[in-house]
Amino acid sequence: MAVILHEEFKVERNDYSNAGKISSRVKDFLKQIGVNPKTLRRIAVACYEAEINLVIHSDGGMVYMDVMDDGSIQLTFEDVGPGIPDLEKALTPGFSTASNEARNLGFGAGMGLPNIKRVSDGFDITSSPEGTTLKLSFTDRNE
Amino acid sequence: MNKRSVVSYTLDQCVKCLKCVKACPSSALSMIDNRIIVSDERCLNCGKCISACHNKGLLAPGSTLSDIDNYDYTVCMVPSALTSNCASKAEAEQLFHAIKLLGFDEVVDISAVEGAVMNENYRLADELSSTSVIASFCPVINRLIEYNYPMLLNHLAPLNYPSEIAAKMIRERLKDHGHVGIFNLCECEARLELAKYPYGNQQFETDHALATVDILPDIQRNMESGSQPLSLSRRGLQSCNPALMKQRPDYLIADGFDKSISILDLAEFDLLKSFKLLYLFPCFNGCVGGHLLFGNSYLARNNIHELVDLHNDNEIEIPFEYLYTEETAITKEEKTSFIEKVNFFNKVNQQLELLPGYDCSACGMQTCRIMAEEIVKGNRQLIDCRILAAIKEDPHEHKKSD
Repeated sequence: MAVILHEEFKVERNDYSNAGKISSRVKDFLKQIGVNPKTLRRIAVACYEAEINLVIHSDGGMVYMDVMDDGSIQLTFEDVGPGIPDLEKALTPGFSTASNEARNLGFGAGMGLPNIKRVSDGFDITSSPEGTTLKLSFTDRNE
Repeated sequence: MNKRSVVSYTLDQCVKCLKCVKACPSSALSMIDNRIIVSDERCLNCGKCISACHNKGLLAPGSTLSDIDNYDYTVCMVPSALTSNCASKAEAEQLFHAIKLLGFDEVVDISAVEGAVMNENYRLADELSSTSVIASFCPVINRLIEYNYPMLLNHLAPLNYPSEIAAKMIRERLKDHGHVGIFNLCECEARLELAKYPYGNQQFETDHALATVDILPDIQRNMESGSQPLSLSRRGLQSCNPALMKQRPDYLIADGFDKSISILDLAEFDLLKSFKLLYLFPCFNGCVGGHLLFGNSYLARNNIHELVDLHNDNEIEIPFEYLYTEETAITKEEKTSFIEKVNFFNKVNQQLELLPGYDCSACGMQTCRIMAEEIVKGNRQLIDCRILAAIKEDPHEHKKSD
């Protein structure tokens, strides 16, 4: 499987005013290459959640979008810390460590990671104090 | 849906200012060989280019009154958006009479049908509470979703346009009147496409779409020469006017193109789940702000109190088969494969790197990305970029900074 389209975007820590812009660009890119709307819907939802996670919880990082030659799409979210102390808890619906600042803005309901997992076809997360890497993949589900 | 833009171009009025090219929200306009070309595939019929033009270089013409002669019996439908321009009920009654004097056998107010369609939108929103329903009364929003928001297609209410429902009911009622011609007096550019003529969309029940501004002088001449009794529907008049619609915390009612776009963008991320109904008017002040109307749309918001008897709703029941469209899933014909599309996209990105990125439109394309696409398609060359051409002539003056 080879990468046929690669894009990368930088996410700044606590940059609330630009939160969501990367997801919009990813969405626009994928629309232009004609990704199936139902698959794209799942990608959009996951990408937005994950991007917001980076803004709220991480010290900043990168988002990579890769389109593979078999039509599948991979999104990678890589941050530089501080890591997720208890991954199992983070994957529990309703569990949230978001600051009041974030909650006041309507984020941090504790559904981020569980939601992302639900809508993606491949889900892999590793975390240490040096950083967290979330790898998602999407293929057409013939819905 | 027959995809044809209602925008037509008049070369001798054009001063080549490119305002229309820049104004288009869907990059449908370009200037090629000093002429504006409107892409039928991209145009939303939103009328933004026509509003942007200061020189009457662009127009959206409707059918003409001479088309009345082709029928045994003719009916003119008047939408609420137009009636709302009247400051009093007496004025509205004069307006209907004045329209009739243009040569129609009947002038029909369709506000009751519009009200019924709005009610059905409300009902659908409550019934399908798990997902937000997007009201589908506006052809611009429907095209926009079809072209740019395919993820939201299944949210569109599968309802017919009010003018179409009214036309079907009129046709049924007048089936013994010979060759009946049904005309719709349109408040905006987009509604001009919802008829057989002048844009050749044979699937519609309405025969002719008339642009209100075009026949306004004829109407004005006939004002104050009589009146036709009216019983307008309050709900119908409300349905074309976002300021007067039913306000509920789970209804999102918005007017203006940019606001509508921002709502569709958020809906794609599934961030508006808490709203049952999205009612989007791309025109400011809703349909009463339609570009083909005369008058002041802010004032039109308040006329409703003069126009309707608050105790008489004039509600009508419309059979389901009239209300609902036959659900035809819109499937785009894919001529190119996924790999070909990605390759094209990558090539466009390569060209884009070479262009200055000012999106100045001087080459006639709206943005550098559109230009890059045209270069990859072979229709244009890099040197057609005015800025690159200037740098080539005088490399010392212009340096592209990275």
